[in-house]
Amino acid sequence: MSALLFTFGYRDRAMGSFAEHPAAAGRIIRRDLYDFDDINLDDVSVLLFSMHADQRFLAARAGRIAEFVRNGGTVLANGHIAYPFLPDIGAYTPAPGQSLKHLRIRRVAEHAIWKGVNEDDLTFRRGVAGFYGRGGHQPPPGATVIHTVGQDAQPVDFIYRLGAGRVLIHGGNDLWQYGGGDSTALIAPQLIAWLFGDSI
Amino acid sequence: MTLAVLDGGTFYHHDTIYGPRYRANFHRAIYVRELAPRDLDGISLLIVPDRINPDQLRAHHQLLIEFADAGNTLIVFGENEAETWLPGAVWASRPTNFWWWLEPGAKPPHRLVDPRHALFEAVRFEDTIWHFHGVLTPPAGARTLIDVPAEGDYPGGALLYEDTVTTRGRIIVATLDPFYHHGSGFMPATTRFLDSFLPWAKNQASSQVVPARDGAARKP
Repeated sequence: MSALLFTFGYRDRAMGSFAEHPAAAGRIIRRDLYDFDDINLDDVSVLLFSMHADQRFLAARAGRIAEFVRNGGTVLANGHIAYPFLPDIGAYTPAPGQSLKHLRIRRVAEHAIWKGVNEDDLTFRRGVAGFYGRGGHQPPPGATVIHTVGQDAQPVDFIYRLGAGRVLIHGGNDLWQYGGGDSTALIAPQLIAWLFGDSI
Repeated sequence: MTLAVLDGGTFYHHDTIYGPRYRANFHRAIYVRELAPRDLDGISLLIVPDRINPDQLRAHHQLLIEFADAGNTLIVFGENEAETWLPGAVWASRPTNFWWWLEPGAKPPHRLVDPRHALFEAVRFEDTIWHFHGVLTPPAGARTLIDVPAEGDYPGGALLYEDTVTTRGRIIVATLDPFYHHGSGFMPATTRFLDSFLPWAKNQASSQVVPARDGAARKP
């Protein structure tokens, strides 16, 4: 089974590195988002949507995406959800301020994708807070929240089940952008293992 | 005469265009996949925000050029591969220093080439300064407003220019990407830039003399 990583008209270096990551063993295939209607999803196990995705386009295909998940597929969506292209997710709420108390990332549940990833490495990039996520979405009932941001504990990363499938929401910059010279380098290979594995 | 903006359907276009802060500046928002000639009727200034899918812009480039050639103003922001669909623009990549502002005493290389341009009566030069991904060589006869010098093996070039020679209208091209950064909720300089730039653009749109379809100029 393979994963489709949807591109959006211009090259994105982090996306390319992720698709070509050795742990993916060629299973991550890049396709133009606007080819979505022409793609047979029967042989696909994962859909990967960047923060740069045209959500207006996706929202018009929300039924097909939900059906894909209910039938056992996995969806990872990055960025803020502005149009309802996935079921049961509440609106994005930005952090109420820009200080560290509003931007600190906290782990509230352990998860294989972030095993060994330091919370401070998520909170700070070169000493600056805010790149990982600056707000959160209201998750559906029963969702597993992994990370929150700020003193309001807004959910940044959460996973929920839908039918036989699962949805991972990362409400910030694309998860595949992380992997510098710190513990965030663990995210890409562990994310790939999760995408092609069975655990939630 | 009015101002229109293209919408790429991303969350950051949504937040910047439809959010309460700037919504009143745009008389019309057009989803780029649905852009049709009739959408530009009565429009004198069209903004192509940064990070609109360049495949869409290449597909619609003739309509955009004809819009400018009718005597209107076309404003094109960065990360749109403008060099692949806008006549005369040449692009050269530069390594991006996202972090220059963390370096003690760092001075950004941006230069205000044309401080007398009317844009800078509204927009502070300091609010046009953030990281850049490359530089443009404008077509001959265009007016560079902001540039950066060459560095090592990397060429210098324009970050903002105004072209009134390629068409009978005006094309303003920037490498800046404020819609993305403001809509994502980071980089306050981009918000300060839009706070002054969009009212300026709206004012330009309402005061512009637009040629009628028969070619005779008329006042709005």
